[in-house]
Amino acid sequence: MINESCVHCGLCLSSCPTYLVTGVETESPRGRVWLLAQYSSGINIGETGLNHLDDCLDCRACEEACPAHIPVGHMVNQFRIASQTGMALSVVKPLRYFLSTRRGRLRFKRLLNWSRYRLVQRAMSWFPEWIPPDALSLASGLPEKTGEVARPAMVPVKDGRNVMLFRGCVMEAVYGETNQKAYDLLQIAGARVVNPESQTCCGALLYHSGDTQALRDLVLENLTAFDESASGDVAVTSGGCSAFMKEYGDLFSPEDPIYARVVRFAAAVKDISDVLVQLGLPSLPVNGRRISMHDACHLAHAQGIRQSPRKLLQGAGYALVEMPDADRCCGAAGTYNLTHPEMARTLQAYKVSDIPQDIDAVALGNPGCQLQIAAGLNRQGREVPVRHTVDLLWEAYQGAKYER
Amino acid sequence: MSDSNWKKGLREIVGAGQLLEDPILLDSYGTDGYTLEKARPSAVVLPADREQLHAVVSHLYRERVPYVARGAGTSLSGGAIPLDGAVVVHLSRMHQIRSIDWYNRVAYCEPGVVNRKLSEALAPFGYYYAPDPSSQQACTLGGNVAENSGGPHCLKFGVTLNHIKQLEVVWPNGDVELLGSLADFAESVDVKSLMVGSEGMLGIVSGIWARIVELPQSRATTMVLFDDVQEASQAVSAIIAAGVIPAALELMDPLAIEAVERGVYRVGYPPGVAAVLLVEVDGPAPEVKEEQSLITHLLGKFPTRDIRIARSAAERELWWANRKTAFGAMGLLAPRYYVQDGVIPRSQLPSALRKIGEIGEHYDIRIANVFHAGDGNLHPLLLYDDKDAHMVQRVRQAGSEILRMCLALGGSITGEHGVGLEKMEELTWQMSPAVIQAQWALKNACDPEGLANPKKVLPVGSTCLAELSSDVTRVK
Repeated sequence: MINESCVHCGLCLSSCPTYLVTGVETESPRGRVWLLAQYSSGINIGETGLNHLDDCLDCRACEEACPAHIPVGHMVNQFRIASQTGMALSVVKPLRYFLSTRRGRLRFKRLLNWSRYRLVQRAMSWFPEWIPPDALSLASGLPEKTGEVARPAMVPVKDGRNVMLFRGCVMEAVYGETNQKAYDLLQIAGARVVNPESQTCCGALLYHSGDTQALRDLVLENLTAFDESASGDVAVTSGGCSAFMKEYGDLFSPEDPIYARVVRFAAAVKDISDVLVQLGLPSLPVNGRRISMHDACHLAHAQGIRQSPRKLLQGAGYALVEMPDADRCCGAAGTYNLTHPEMARTLQAYKVSDIPQDIDAVALGNPGCQLQIAAGLNRQGREVPVRHTVDLLWEAYQGAKYER
Repeated sequence: MSDSNWKKGLREIVGAGQLLEDPILLDSYGTDGYTLEKARPSAVVLPADREQLHAVVSHLYRERVPYVARGAGTSLSGGAIPLDGAVVVHLSRMHQIRSIDWYNRVAYCEPGVVNRKLSEALAPFGYYYAPDPSSQQACTLGGNVAENSGGPHCLKFGVTLNHIKQLEVVWPNGDVELLGSLADFAESVDVKSLMVGSEGMLGIVSGIWARIVELPQSRATTMVLFDDVQEASQAVSAIIAAGVIPAALELMDPLAIEAVERGVYRVGYPPGVAAVLLVEVDGPAPEVKEEQSLITHLLGKFPTRDIRIARSAAERELWWANRKTAFGAMGLLAPRYYVQDGVIPRSQLPSALRKIGEIGEHYDIRIANVFHAGDGNLHPLLLYDDKDAHMVQRVRQAGSEILRMCLALGGSITGEHGVGLEKMEELTWQMSPAVIQAQWALKNACDPEGLANPKKVLPVGSTCLAELSSDVTRVK
């Protein structure tokens, strides 16, 4: 696929967050494709060239803008993995301990879960040399552990369409309540919800480490978990996970014996907002609350999902106040905010300054963005709640009278 | 003064990180949207604001170092390629819309503001900036001013020149001057308009006061599908002859259709369609209705496959996105394209298209046609593989021959892409030595040291290419 089809038209430039920040050609998608072409023709692009490649957020905005579908984000990722440089080396390698085995993943989740307690956060700050300041600042965006809240009244469905819920790892550990609420909403929408117990992480982080065998095992684990429940859609609450799992097919060769199963699973993966729109939620009267939507890159650019969450929020009675460039990356980008703190902070500040003043909450559909934007608002002393679309919907239906 | 000294001066103005010297970074600035040539700049400097830009130009003047301004690098005639080791003054960081003056209906912008971003910022207030080059999602206002850019909707609303009220210019000697005025009156000597379209040869624009206009009350976009390109081009003539000036009138031929349908904005044209004509009318609702029905009536006289009217804003957007990404989508058909920008009288469209077809056959080059049919501005896209030296040769010849044909039909070698370093020789076919001399006189008056965008546009001597700089790498 590589760079052959780039005709240097430059239409991608304005979509690229790192070009917006730096203004430098090699920090743009066109420049990165050019750098990759130089590299592959044997020219030494030096440390500067490597750094500019590695500054790519993999936000996919350019892939959406490119008239010739050049997969710049994918190309940079493959380059990182193949050359074991940059992001692949610095954060993902150490994370491999947690991600490549089932036990490691459980420990990872538990760690994330602990870090939500204010006490633990304070304790983390006592060991500054162990925990980078940007991780601490992110931790300030974590939701505080709260007690149980009354759930909306609902009648369990016996014979609706089957929907399986994919919970994710960061999503489940940090925003587990959101998954619970997604479960409730799916039921309100008339689905019979299945919650496969043996499911695991989507594998996106592990993919970046280049450990293909561990990744294959992980995918198999998920296939088995979801095959057993033999259901229709796989609803996902984390945009990053659904984007990655929709591309599971690209990880395997068509000759691989599990290929057909992989493709079948990938085709069943859907973002929770798409599933809810398809099933249909009852509409509620206007509630007077104003919401601004941030489009997570891996929903908007990777999956083209922009309208579904908006449609749902409006149907549930919220008023939408659009922010400029709602689909420009907030700088979270997986582990980017830890590997590239400076660029991530700049993009975080851009995002926060684009968030309108007179709103009741920011809505979004990806845990990474939720942490990043909440931390950014904190940094500027603004007290706007940052919520998953599912949370806002759930609140609207909680205690509301509606007919299914 | 020595090399390191002038760079040191630049570094002091913009800060160390904003002067690029690494060879790999410099080479990435070697070309723009025109990929037949490349050249390495001696440095790239990224000023943050107008003050820094003014200081940079003054400094380069003192040191007698040539330079070229660059926006998004989307030029299709090599306007931003740095010849003579020119320093690239990259204006990408100067992308703020400074203020909007609703009383005078003007937006004060830095030169690096992206064309489309201005319209997006104005849209919530019911306004927009009218000139819409197909590259508007990326190209900058500064570049638009330098090239006097057009676009699909310039048929009715005019090109960049008609939408610039005032410019802040930094002359090559570092002097700063405001040209034009926010008031609407005709100046006796319109220097501002000389700057528009001067391709960076007279100075750099550091502030732009662009006219903003109200969004049309109503719009109607019609897509007409033809089985024959000739029929489509005759329909274009018929519409204009009937006295309708649509907001836009755009045509694509089969090869262009193939590319855009494989691109990101697929419309889903039925198979075998030979031409897609987009006709858009806008204005007050009753007027739009009247013009729309007249157009439908006129089109009824032609053998069309289908006539569709956009049912929603989203559908209209999709049709335009499909059309506007045509150049980039050529990457799906061939590794490279060479786009021509010839203009012909509208009445000659059918014969021009036929001749382009013949030239393509003669040189064995596939040619796609996407063009502003309404004003006779052709954009034949010559597809080639840059690894095939013989093919590159044939592409250059075919391109040149198309421009000769445009002149023979009473047209011009360029409509909106500029002369750059691409069409310097062809300029001599169109303009008499006296006219070129007059332009040289203007250039020398503004830039006696020849620092601003050196060795572009104006040929030296009658057959200029022999004397063209040796530092250009011609892509073989």
